[in-house]
Amino acid sequence: MRKMLAAVSRVLSGASQKPASRVLVASRNFANDATFEIKKCDLHRLEEGPPVTTVLTREDGLKYYRMMQTVRRMELKADQLYKQKIIRGFCHLCDGQFLLPLTQEACCVGLEAGINPTDHLITAYRAHGFTFTRGLSVREILAELTGRKGGCAKGKGGSMHMYAKNFYGGNGIVGAQVPLGAGIALACKYNGKDEVCLTLYGD
Amino acid sequence: MAAVSGLVSGLLKRRFHWTAPAALQVTVRDAINQGMDEELERDEKVFLLGEEVAQYDGAYKVSRGLWKKYGDKRIIDTPISEMGFAGIAVGAAMAGLRPICEFMTFNFSMQAIDQVINSAAKTYYMSGGLQPVPIVFRGPNGASAGVAAQHSQCFAAWYGHCPGLKVVSPWNSEDAKGLIKSAIRDNNPVVVLENELMYGVPFEFPPEAQSKDFLIPIGKAKIERQGTHITVVSHSRPVGHCLEAAAVLSKEGVECEVINMRTIRPMDMETIEASVMKTNHLVTVEGGWPQFGVGAEICARIMEGPAFNFLDAPAVRVTGADVPMPYAKILEDNSIPQVKDIIFAIKKTLNI
Repeated sequence: MRKMLAAVSRVLSGASQKPASRVLVASRNFANDATFEIKKCDLHRLEEGPPVTTVLTREDGLKYYRMMQTVRRMELKADQLYKQKIIRGFCHLCDGQFLLPLTQEACCVGLEAGINPTDHLITAYRAHGFTFTRGLSVREILAELTGRKGGCAKGKGGSMHMYAKNFYGGNGIVGAQVPLGAGIALACKYNGKDEVCLTLYGD
Repeated sequence: MAAVSGLVSGLLKRRFHWTAPAALQVTVRDAINQGMDEELERDEKVFLLGEEVAQYDGAYKVSRGLWKKYGDKRIIDTPISEMGFAGIAVGAAMAGLRPICEFMTFNFSMQAIDQVINSAAKTYYMSGGLQPVPIVFRGPNGASAGVAAQHSQCFAAWYGHCPGLKVVSPWNSEDAKGLIKSAIRDNNPVVVLENELMYGVPFEFPPEAQSKDFLIPIGKAKIERQGTHITVVSHSRPVGHCLEAAAVLSKEGVECEVINMRTIRPMDMETIEASVMKTNHLVTVEGGWPQFGVGAEICARIMEGPAFNFLDAPAVRVTGADVPMPYAKILEDNSIPQVKDIIFAIKKTLNI
């Protein structure tokens, strides 16, 4: 009943023009950017570190929020599919529901925000979020998890073995990705390109 | 007039005494060195890393002169951490370079075998064809002289077991150069099992092997000696022992066909089967342990294929003794196949 009334009122109010003053009042509650203080990092073989304040614009903020929401929902769905045994084997997720509360979407999105698409990234087995932020579609990821040939690895890789351009997986053996990442960085140095390789370890 | 023409023709008949030019003798070490040098020159993306490969000219001097020629960027000395530098090499291969990763011996590759198998061999398949790993792992394999158990293992069977890897095992200089060049140009991970005792042995280098584009196709065996009575299949150093055994038996009227496998994986069964169908007898010879070895695989595949119906006797394997390699010389000598063991196996198969 309440829902019907709300729907009716929406339709009726939508038909009329909103007065201009009301619109102005509404927009005063939104800021266009926000400033954040960042903790100073320890430095290793560098003269200066990253800046200690940063500004997040509304556009970027909405973009990141959308990405995080997508990853969250994808992971929740993957979790559900895993419980239904539609996803088999291992399924290490970024969401808070599997094993321990690990809400890691922000890590994937934040890291991607800090690098370029031409930079490189390699991680351990909790890789779905990074696979998305590095450019693959949710469809390809879920198809891979459910073992379909439309998956990014044609169903041959599974949860821990997803690859994309400049994304080297998804590595099942704990710690193996660390020297691999160093090797990718060696290739960047060898080729003389101004690229970085992010190597992730530790959950 | 007749006397003069007779003299002239006599003079013309005399030729200056001449000998054929001495055939070029190249050691296996120099052949590998040449192969790597040519590939390093041909492709900027090829580089070599390993322990002592640069400033020391290689633990066994196989990479002599390369650091002087190509410098720090392309010939890289690594710390003693196989798992670390093999991982780095695989990562570099994933990112598009073409590394040659040297293990001082393949015994140490056990430290890094996770990177070889899980990160290199399986990746192209696991990624659905998206991520090739064009890497070469090379180094001496198998028994040496007096280095005892932890430094004498043969890894042909272990690496030959894994899909996703190519495994080659050169015997002479020609094999060494052709196979290392093919391995470097191959887009798959290739394991090159060299032999330390063969490094210093010179072989005749045919003219085609002196070319910069001399390649030996991976997956093709070579018939080193034609024969009719029995097929003897081997790889790496034992090929030499087989040829010696064949020479001895030839005096007794037994003609052995000696096949040098050259590649362990993918195995050239066509050549072996064709030979067995001709000779009706088979002996396999390898330096590694018998259980689940290269010989075992050959015998199993012969049974599964058409050649089985042509066998007149069960196939026999001559292998290393099923023990960790002992130290004492007399024990060590008797733990690897010797010429007398090969002759014994051949005679037993032929029932003579």
